[in-house]
Amino acid sequence: MQVAPLSDNEAERLAALHALLILDTPPEERFDKIVQFAAAEFDVPVAVITLLDAERQWFKSSVGTSVCETGRDVSLCSHAILQPDVMLVPDTLLDPRFVDNPLVTGDMNLRFYAGAPLSMPSGLRLGTLCLIDHRPRTLDDMELSILATLRDLVVMELGGAGVDAHA
Amino acid sequence: MRSGTHILLVEPETLLRRTVSMTARSLGISQVHEAASTDMALRMVRQRRFQGAVIAVECLGSGGGRRYDLSLIDLLRADEGPDEQAMPIAILADQATPELLAELRERRISRVILKPFRAKVLLETIAGFGGGKAN
Repeated sequence: MQVAPLSDNEAERLAALHALLILDTPPEERFDKIVQFAAAEFDVPVAVITLLDAERQWFKSSVGTSVCETGRDVSLCSHAILQPDVMLVPDTLLDPRFVDNPLVTGDMNLRFYAGAPLSMPSGLRLGTLCLIDHRPRTLDDMELSILATLRDLVVMELGGAGVDAHA
Repeated sequence: MRSGTHILLVEPETLLRRTVSMTARSLGISQVHEAASTDMALRMVRQRRFQGAVIAVECLGSGGGRRYDLSLIDLLRADEGPDEQAMPIAILADQATPELLAELRERRISRVILKPFRAKVLLETIAGFGGGKAN
């Protein structure tokens, strides 16, 4: 299993995440609605908004899993925040980074992953909006764009400019 | 559809509406103008011309007196000249009853989309209005 390296701006990234005062807060409808929409739109069993803390990834909102956090060492989202665009893993068993990851080999049975990094206006990537399936699959260009749009809506909510404020 | 075309999207669900309009913009499909209700759409139609529309039809009344509000479609069709090609209009509906389909046929509706509504289906519909491809 490959553990994702830390980004050069990790200290700054963590400071920005902690400044949001969102870690370990209760579920909120504004985020839950986006995650539920994503799960239905892409017909995936699991969709999550993750925020990457120093040692863990914490789930602000999720559909299809009762887990609320995992270690950061096993987190696919830790890899996803290293790039600006959506990270697409059509089949984790064919990807040497993840083939022996406990989230892949264990109860989560993670075979497909698509993670859109939550890039704040500062450029810091605090987490992801991610889709998970238990079977290999992929997303076409239009679906990637829809996922990026939903990610943008999560970022707007994190920044305080909610969806309804623009309705 | 080209990015310079203007499409009217009438849909009460904010998240679906916003997802379609933002994604259409990012893909350069069309400029999608959002309306949360028929009343809001009626005001928008009086202010600008559209090259296509996706409209969630509202159901008025209850029981035996239940009927769909098609006034917006009627207004859009009334604005078209006799020699003008009909603007492509797709309808979002909970169900397709024979009565509704008959009314929609009279109004030259090009497509009916039934629940559950997916953003991708709406975007493909908008992209197909001009016979073009989304990407």
